[in-house]
Amino acid sequence: MINLRDKGAEIWERANRPQRVLMAISFIAMAAALPFLGGTFLNTPIADYQSVLVYPIAMFVLMAIGLNIVIGKSGLLDLGYVAFFAIGAYTMGLLGTRTSLNTWEILPIGIAMAMFSGIILGVPALKLRGDYLAIITLGFGEIIRIVALNLEVLGRSGGIIGIPTPPPIFGIEYAFDSHRIYYWTLLIIILFAIWMVRRLSVRRAGRAWESIRQDEDAAELMGVPTFKYKVWAFVLGASVGGAAGVFYASKTLFIAPDNFTLQISILILACVVFGGMGNIWGVIAGAVILGYLPDRIRFLSDARLLVFGLVLVIMMNLRPDGLLPRKKREKALPNKDSNKDKS
Amino acid sequence: MSTSILSLKNVTMRFGGVTALNDVTFDVKEKEILGLIGPNGAGKTTVFNVITGVYQITSGSIEFQGKSLAGEKRYKITRSGIARTFQNIRLWGDMTALENVMTATDTHKRSGLVGGLFGSPISRKEEKRDKKRAQELLDFIGIGEYADRLARNLPYGVQRRLEIARALGTEPKLILLDEPAAGFNPAEKVELAKVIRKIRDAGYTILLIEHDMSLVMKVSDRVVVLDFGQKIADNTPQKVQDDPRVIEAYLGVPEDAS
Repeated sequence: MINLRDKGAEIWERANRPQRVLMAISFIAMAAALPFLGGTFLNTPIADYQSVLVYPIAMFVLMAIGLNIVIGKSGLLDLGYVAFFAIGAYTMGLLGTRTSLNTWEILPIGIAMAMFSGIILGVPALKLRGDYLAIITLGFGEIIRIVALNLEVLGRSGGIIGIPTPPPIFGIEYAFDSHRIYYWTLLIIILFAIWMVRRLSVRRAGRAWESIRQDEDAAELMGVPTFKYKVWAFVLGASVGGAAGVFYASKTLFIAPDNFTLQISILILACVVFGGMGNIWGVIAGAVILGYLPDRIRFLSDARLLVFGLVLVIMMNLRPDGLLPRKKREKALPNKDSNKDKS
Repeated sequence: MSTSILSLKNVTMRFGGVTALNDVTFDVKEKEILGLIGPNGAGKTTVFNVITGVYQITSGSIEFQGKSLAGEKRYKITRSGIARTFQNIRLWGDMTALENVMTATDTHKRSGLVGGLFGSPISRKEEKRDKKRAQELLDFIGIGEYADRLARNLPYGVQRRLEIARALGTEPKLILLDEPAAGFNPAEKVELAKVIRKIRDAGYTILLIEHDMSLVMKVSDRVVVLDFGQKIADNTPQKVQDDPRVIEAYLGVPEDAS
């Protein structure tokens, strides 16, 4: 099996600094140019292509990056990730309609709320492992939705309507239908999230998460404060989900409990697994494909989800580790003699 | 060689109806190599597990450098200076040898997650220092050339030694080796004996579980023998070998014995 991930990493590692900068810039430029490809084969026939780019694609990418910290890096199966998305969205909905705060001011509050709920959930839940953790997070996701469904102040099943769009920033207007602007803003948030994850992955926190994922008991016995790092992974994942939620609410102007079902959690999880757990580029690729595909094949109408499921099954059979699996490659050995193992 | 670094006093460990350790008392003295032997199921690994906090003892006390370890969190026990290896190798296979050791050296970092995120000077300096230290340890154990290989792809003997390097990464005062020579051929055992002595000479105290008698008797300063959870001997290697109770535990009683 070709390992695209290793090929890519090899090219990256061989490149010198200016080449790397050039590669990064051209990659970002390509991503930023996506809204202009509406008329081409990329077009989504029924839904508005540019709006599909914002939701689900960019939104899925952002959430998948966040969930990847929890599942891919630390190996904690979180089936209720939508909860943090919902908390961000409802923070925006509530504060946006009832106070004079604008989106940019609410964004940090939404993130803080999501992180806080990450602690509230994480501290008791992370004492559990594996399947038990999955079940408790699953419950948490549903609790948040049901709370929203029953609280008067959150609009019950009617949700919250008339959420304000973001006010202009640096002279850029956020009109309701200028999807491109939202997409580019999300792109910036995504780039920031990528930076954060990459930065943490290569340092102490990354090693701690990796050791927890592979053998939690051994990690603890080697002096890694496993519980602290698990809570951190949870909280950081929650912060990304919260940011996505705030922005989502401010974009769609209307939120209801129906937007935050278990299905979203499962879909984001699918993005992470499909793309390749633990590898951020794989996860991004997975989220782009799984966000885009259902809208691309919308012309199939009822058979659409069947085809989508089929693609998932075929894919997981062909590449069980995901599209771009996590690092398996070793660096070049310092000297050739070391290949000979002493026995 | 006189002050004791770790002392177990009347330690009893029960799992339901099974008594794995029964009133075990012994000291580990500073900078010595103490061998811990006994037939299968004698409770050797249980001793390691109670010291490192995997199990909470039923009764008795364990003191490390004068401080009780009762109820301490496992990672805190490690941080206070006790590190161990595992009988069945438990490395982090998807990490390189160097990363395995670095994860252990992280124990002594001051910078936190936020410092790492923004690349604070302390965090950067520590990262550099840890990398150097980890490489030093790999060289010390004699597997420096494997630094960039994934742990799971390493030859068996190297994996065993990497476990020791990783334990040393936590900068322990006392290191617990759980059958480090399991599966080794005679040549590798000789090599390992040298490594163990080298570790002691570098100032560490060693508590060694090992089934290979010639190895234990060769490297240990003192040997404690367990049988069915009870201490039956605690003496120099030579005296332990001649102890009738030890011979009995290993070989059984001759029929004509009175």
